[in-house]
Amino acid sequence: MSLPHSFDAEDSPERPKVLLVDDDELALMLTAEALRGRGFDITEASSGEQALALLVEWTPDIMVLDAVMPGLDGFDTCRQLRESAGFENLPVLMLTGLDDDASINRAYQVGATDFFVKSTQWSLLAGRLRHVLRSARTRQELERSKSKLARAQDLARMGSFDWRKPVGGHHPTGGLTLAPEALRVFGYGPVDRVSMRGLVRMVPLPERQGMTRVLAEVQSQNTVLAIDVPVTLPDGRMRIVHVEAEPEFNEHGHPIGYTGIVQDVTDRRMAEDRIRHLANFDALTGLPNRRQLIWRTERALDHARRLNHQAALLLIDLDRFKIINDTLGHAAGDELLVEVARRLRSCVRHSDQVMDGALESAGARGHRTLEAVGRLGGDEFIALLPEVTDEADAERVSVRILDAMRESIYVGGQECFVTASVGIALFPRDGNSVADLMRNSDVAMYSVKNAGRNASAAYSPMLAGRGREKLELESALHKAIERNELVLHYQPKIDVRSARMVGAEALMRWQRGGTLVAPGDFIPLAEETGLIVPLSEWALREAARQAKVWQVNFGFADSIAVNLPNRMFERTDLVEHIHECVSTYGVPHRAIQLEITETGLMKDLQNVIPSLHRLTEIGVEISIDDFGTGYSSLAYLTTLPISELKIDRSFVRDLGITPQSSAVVTAIIALARSLGLRVIAEGVENLRQMEVLHRLGCGVMQGFLFSRPIPPDELERWLQQTVLPRKAPWIVQAGAERLEPPRTTGRRP
Amino acid sequence: MSNPFTSPSSHATKPADGMPSGVGEAELDAQALANLAQLDPTGANKLVQRVLTTYRSSMARLLAQLVQARAAADPAMLRLVTHTLKSSSASVGALTLSTLCATAEKSLREGRHDGLPALLDQLVAEAERVDVAVFHLLNDS
Repeated sequence: MSLPHSFDAEDSPERPKVLLVDDDELALMLTAEALRGRGFDITEASSGEQALALLVEWTPDIMVLDAVMPGLDGFDTCRQLRESAGFENLPVLMLTGLDDDASINRAYQVGATDFFVKSTQWSLLAGRLRHVLRSARTRQELERSKSKLARAQDLARMGSFDWRKPVGGHHPTGGLTLAPEALRVFGYGPVDRVSMRGLVRMVPLPERQGMTRVLAEVQSQNTVLAIDVPVTLPDGRMRIVHVEAEPEFNEHGHPIGYTGIVQDVTDRRMAEDRIRHLANFDALTGLPNRRQLIWRTERALDHARRLNHQAALLLIDLDRFKIINDTLGHAAGDELLVEVARRLRSCVRHSDQVMDGALESAGARGHRTLEAVGRLGGDEFIALLPEVTDEADAERVSVRILDAMRESIYVGGQECFVTASVGIALFPRDGNSVADLMRNSDVAMYSVKNAGRNASAAYSPMLAGRGREKLELESALHKAIERNELVLHYQPKIDVRSARMVGAEALMRWQRGGTLVAPGDFIPLAEETGLIVPLSEWALREAARQAKVWQVNFGFADSIAVNLPNRMFERTDLVEHIHECVSTYGVPHRAIQLEITETGLMKDLQNVIPSLHRLTEIGVEISIDDFGTGYSSLAYLTTLPISELKIDRSFVRDLGITPQSSAVVTAIIALARSLGLRVIAEGVENLRQMEVLHRLGCGVMQGFLFSRPIPPDELERWLQQTVLPRKAPWIVQAGAERLEPPRTTGRRP
Repeated sequence: MSNPFTSPSSHATKPADGMPSGVGEAELDAQALANLAQLDPTGANKLVQRVLTTYRSSMARLLAQLVQARAAADPAMLRLVTHTLKSSSASVGALTLSTLCATAEKSLREGRHDGLPALLDQLVAEAERVDVAVFHLLNDS
């Protein structure tokens, strides 16, 4: 802080209000005159009594009090002033005689701010007054920021403390001072006295020893202290307190103690633990998730490498889980997974928590805490055995697992029987890395599936022969485009209110030799190998061509929807490619509609959005496929340039059976309506589903009820023979509800 | 019991032996008077006249109180009188008088009453001289 550089009146923008009290008429006159000339606003009082009377209704900035006065002298006046509310901090300058030490001392005792020896050197008095005023202001600000800090600390459940090193034989644990806010952190009131020993005793025994060790170490090194300690408050509550402190040194550089803060970080720690748990554990079963499993396996392999022993990875896949899920519903499927998880846990020495420190300190056996069952996703589980002596060891565990499944499981009020296929991979025999072991346990598990399920098998290089098949498939797929083996089949989209076709979805088929390969058998491989890009480009071209053919044949003016994987949307030339396709065949841009799955869209939103915007600009509409199965952010949905939501077939299938599915469908329809989007239901297989959908407000559908995906010429025939003559049962049904004549779409030119 | 504040002789106007002489030429310090004038540089407030007039009247009152206090042997009253006269005398430049007041006040505060009567006599004599000087000063201006 800089000292007053001058005693000028300009120092302060206003004239400070001074109450001048002196019984000596002459001194009063002179002092008043002198101070007025130096920028002060003077109010005179000739006695202490008069001064106090004035203060009842008025407050000066500072009071100048003559010490020696008849009646109420300066000291008594000052004391009375300090006792009245609101004047505790009013600056008071006491005027005393030159060599009057006793008066000076008394002045401070009665609460004067400062003293000044009476003299005729007025400029010195004025200077002193300004100094006292400035200190008072500074002090006021300091008080204000101190209380602000205290409030902030209180909100942050934080408080400061000071600790002085023990000196001599006194205070063997040193002197501890806690601010009221710090006392609050430990559950004490502002006037409670707490010793260092008392605080240490609040730490539960298991942690206390470690903490005292840290404290001793930090103190002996004079380093900064930063630890989190669990404490039991006087009322029994458990909290976690963060302690952070810096060493303090005296002028000789010797450490004298620590100063710092304590903060209740319980809530933060709980949130952190929760986040850590969510990141590492499967929400449904509570088992370690893929990420946690990989982490554990890596640790286990490190350990096995170091101590030169074997480890095993068991991949457990439930048999025909999909059937259970499909027949009993998702909720029952989830229930079943939870029960399976519980049984699997009991087959190994499962540890939920791996203590990082324990891994080091527990030495040779620390890796045992890594042992666990985890869920990779879906109905796939993994058992990690950090140490096995041989393959038979791992097989014993897999037998235990198969046995554990044998007992029936009740889900959704039904008794179910579940079996599993287990694939075993051993480190280091079957792989040196987590990825290798995962892949090879997968290969082993598939060999069990192929051999009839409900068994276990260890990996062997023989099994990897499956890979060769895959290679062959891949090279055949490469040639499929050149050889024109790929075809598009079309499934009509029907507006049941008007009983007409309002578009079609193109679905890829592969005519390999004499058989028709379903998309599920080659699309994943195409995605894996990157072949999906030429396949998709071909599909777009073919759909544009077909749109033209239909336009010519029966006046088709709607769009053909093509399914694209999200990686296609990342391609910068997608828009150009579509433009080229429609231009080649002379159909408008809107003849092509694109479908992207909800999951694909959300997985890669940031990279996909620019394409979506450009496509919408040129008139190509976007439809979200399998809607409801992913986890769309509603906030994004409102801003995305999309036109249509496609209700996933799983919800349609359960319509009229489970109330949940109609609740989901209703919600999707309401959502679409509020966002101004069209909504279409896929997988409609019977009249009941159609009826419910129609009633819920969804009028556009596709599904086996209307037509399965069929070759394009067959679709034309279907239109001619079924739709136009209004011969299908669903047309009667729909027509009964609404008397709207079907639009004539089948007119040949 | 004799009064510690009165002289053995009833007249107190004669200075005691061994006391500094030569007072009277410069009862009022020029510098102090100049400082005083400085407080009212234009003289518009007639500050110097007001101060000197006030000084005379207050000194008259204080000297009366002094006589009273001596007669009543009231050290507290004596202290207050010497204290007040000390600072106001200093203000108008009556430095000798102010010093005498300070010495008296100190003795009183410390309870040393020996030599006090002579001191007080000297103080009164000096006060009378100062009064005359102030009177002249007021008439001159």
